Amino acid sequence: MTQRETLENWQRAGRTVIHEADAKDLLQRIGIPVPRRDPDHGRCAAKLCHDDYPHKSDHGLVRLGLSPEEAKQAAAEMAERFAGGTALIEEMEEGSVAEWIIGCKRDDTFGPIVLAGPGGILVELIDAAEIRLAPATPQTAEAMVRSGPGARLLTGLRGAEPADKGALADLISRISVFFAENADLISEIEINPVMVRADGKGLVAADALIVLSSNADEQEKLT
Amino acid sequence: MFFHLTEESVPEPNTNQMTTPRPTVGQALDGLFDPRTIAVVGASRTKGKLGQAVLALLKSNGYSGRIIPVNPSGGEIEGLPAVRSLDEIDSPIDVVVLATPVGVALDALETCTRLDVKVVVGVTSGFSEAGEDGHENEERLRRIMQDAPFRLVGPNCEGVVRPASDLQLTFSPMFNDLRPGPVAMISQSGALAGLMALRLGERGVGINAIVSSGNETDLTAADLLDYLGNDPQTRVVLCYVEELRDGRRFAEAAQRLTRAGKHVVAVKSGRSRAGSRAVQSHTGAMAGDDRVISAVFRETGVIRARESVAAVDAVTALAAGRRPAGNRVGIISVTGGLGVEMTDLAESAGFEVPVLDETTQTALSRYVPFYGSVTNPVDLTGVVLANPTYVGRCLEAVTADPGVDIAIAIITFVPDQQFIEALAEAFDNTDKPILIVWTGSARSNASGEALRERAVPVYDSPARAASGLAALAVATGEVA
Repeated sequence: MTQRETLENWQRAGRTVIHEADAKDLLQRIGIPVPRRDPDHGRCAAKLCHDDYPHKSDHGLVRLGLSPEEAKQAAAEMAERFAGGTALIEEMEEGSVAEWIIGCKRDDTFGPIVLAGPGGILVELIDAAEIRLAPATPQTAEAMVRSGPGARLLTGLRGAEPADKGALADLISRISVFFAENADLISEIEINPVMVRADGKGLVAADALIVLSSNADEQEKLT
Repeated sequence: MFFHLTEESVPEPNTNQMTTPRPTVGQALDGLFDPRTIAVVGASRTKGKLGQAVLALLKSNGYSGRIIPVNPSGGEIEGLPAVRSLDEIDSPIDVVVLATPVGVALDALETCTRLDVKVVVGVTSGFSEAGEDGHENEERLRRIMQDAPFRLVGPNCEGVVRPASDLQLTFSPMFNDLRPGPVAMISQSGALAGLMALRLGERGVGINAIVSSGNETDLTAADLLDYLGNDPQTRVVLCYVEELRDGRRFAEAAQRLTRAGKHVVAVKSGRSRAGSRAVQSHTGAMAGDDRVISAVFRETGVIRARESVAAVDAVTALAAGRRPAGNRVGIISVTGGLGVEMTDLAESAGFEVPVLDETTQTALSRYVPFYGSVTNPVDLTGVVLANPTYVGRCLEAVTADPGVDIAIAIITFVPDQQFIEALAEAFDNTDKPILIVWTGSARSNASGEALRERAVPVYDSPARAASGLAALAVATGEVA
């Protein structure tokens, strides 16, 4: 099944918000690294992914810093409380030097755009994201990680290691191309945060969300 | 290309063609800007009527093509034989202007579908801009335009101006006496177009064409940007837009132009519109409408001006056609205070105001007394007013400095004409961009004609010169 067919199937099933576990499956298929699932050692995150609760931590659906055994138990508990969810146990990313947000959406005036900037809790604090038309070429994506106030965070402040800008630019370009090609089906994609490791060591998408366009056929039936 | 195909045989007394192809944007606008025949629907003898003003301005500005007034009572209007209806015109018409109340205008538009017309300019109002009240008119307009064999500018616009063709298709006197030149203007607001045209004209900045695009039912800002921007006469396109209906095409056209070395300056108003849609993600909240516009303009090389006067200031600097080699500014001033303010503004906009070369300082010392300054900003002091050519010579010395990319001369009142001519000579003797801040122009005993003839950028305050400066060197980004 192509990625586009997957999106069409989801839309046909009436889904609008695609939860993290499914979103990550799809992103992995377009070459975006995601955390290892169900590890047998190391620190783990346990999450319950549900289309109706995209903001998981608001509902207590994220538990961090667990052993593999604890994670399984936590996931089982959460699954009991929220029927219809998908439990996700992942290895926690320990080696990142920066957290970034990458998002795509359809702008009313200019159509598909892509955004990249400091992510995680920093999205709440600063308005430092770079925005370009999607699809963004590899050169444009490189400019995005080198421009704006956020760029200094990637070069390594106060002796911190510089982040893998090349991997980040590759992700930006890749996701913007995928979005622009399927912008009729997708209204927004967001990866927040992307855990960016030190230069040369790549990155991993720690959380992801896809919002589909509302299904035109379904809407017709309703009216 | 669309074709107007009709099942029944429509009476077509004016042409042998059974079907008339819909002109492309290029064909229509070629006809619009260099028309041989213009029909003015609503031409009138009654002062105060739109059609009367359109016809009078067209004639008084020296348009030399054929003008056909259209008025149901016929006779003669403004010395021209009028026809009672468009149907009576048995030759091709390049431009039909609709300057009547909306009902009559729509009837005339319908008639145009049977004639050989290239483009219609709809000055008439009463469509979508009138909300509910204009709804029926808008519906009828769209029905007519669906397969009309002509293109439409407007409706609800102030018209079209092309100084090189003595073409003044508007009811507004704000566009009088413009000279031909490198600036094309596209404005969704006619009043803003008038404001900007008048100010550019006052500075001697030449105009290639002005289109008040109104509601953009057919031809959009993107169509006009593509056409006017690609005209070899155009160096700068100035746009005032409230809503970009085909924003992607606009952005792509702008990018092609800026990559080819032309400039696009745009005022996009309606910044404060709050995004009302619920958003699921941070992306939605972070990429609000206004931030996206700024970002896309920056990406495509469009200079975004905060408002129309700042846009005019930017365009004034760009229209002179001189590109600075770098960001080093040499400032001379007949007063210390204005030189200091200009320096602050230049530096905060990212420019350098470096100490001048020793040769330059020596040259300046011949004119500047010991209590002045020859470093940078240069304080010439009031002593230089003693001889009308001194300021011009000081300006020449600064533009000759190898460490200066852009020169700014600041003057207050001006005692006589020679003073201004010396500045104009200094402008002629260099390829470097020069900006002049002339705070007392209206109170001076000299006219700025020598500067206007050359379209030297002249500003009335350091802050407005800074808008021009920013546009010059950055050529992208925002102008305050």
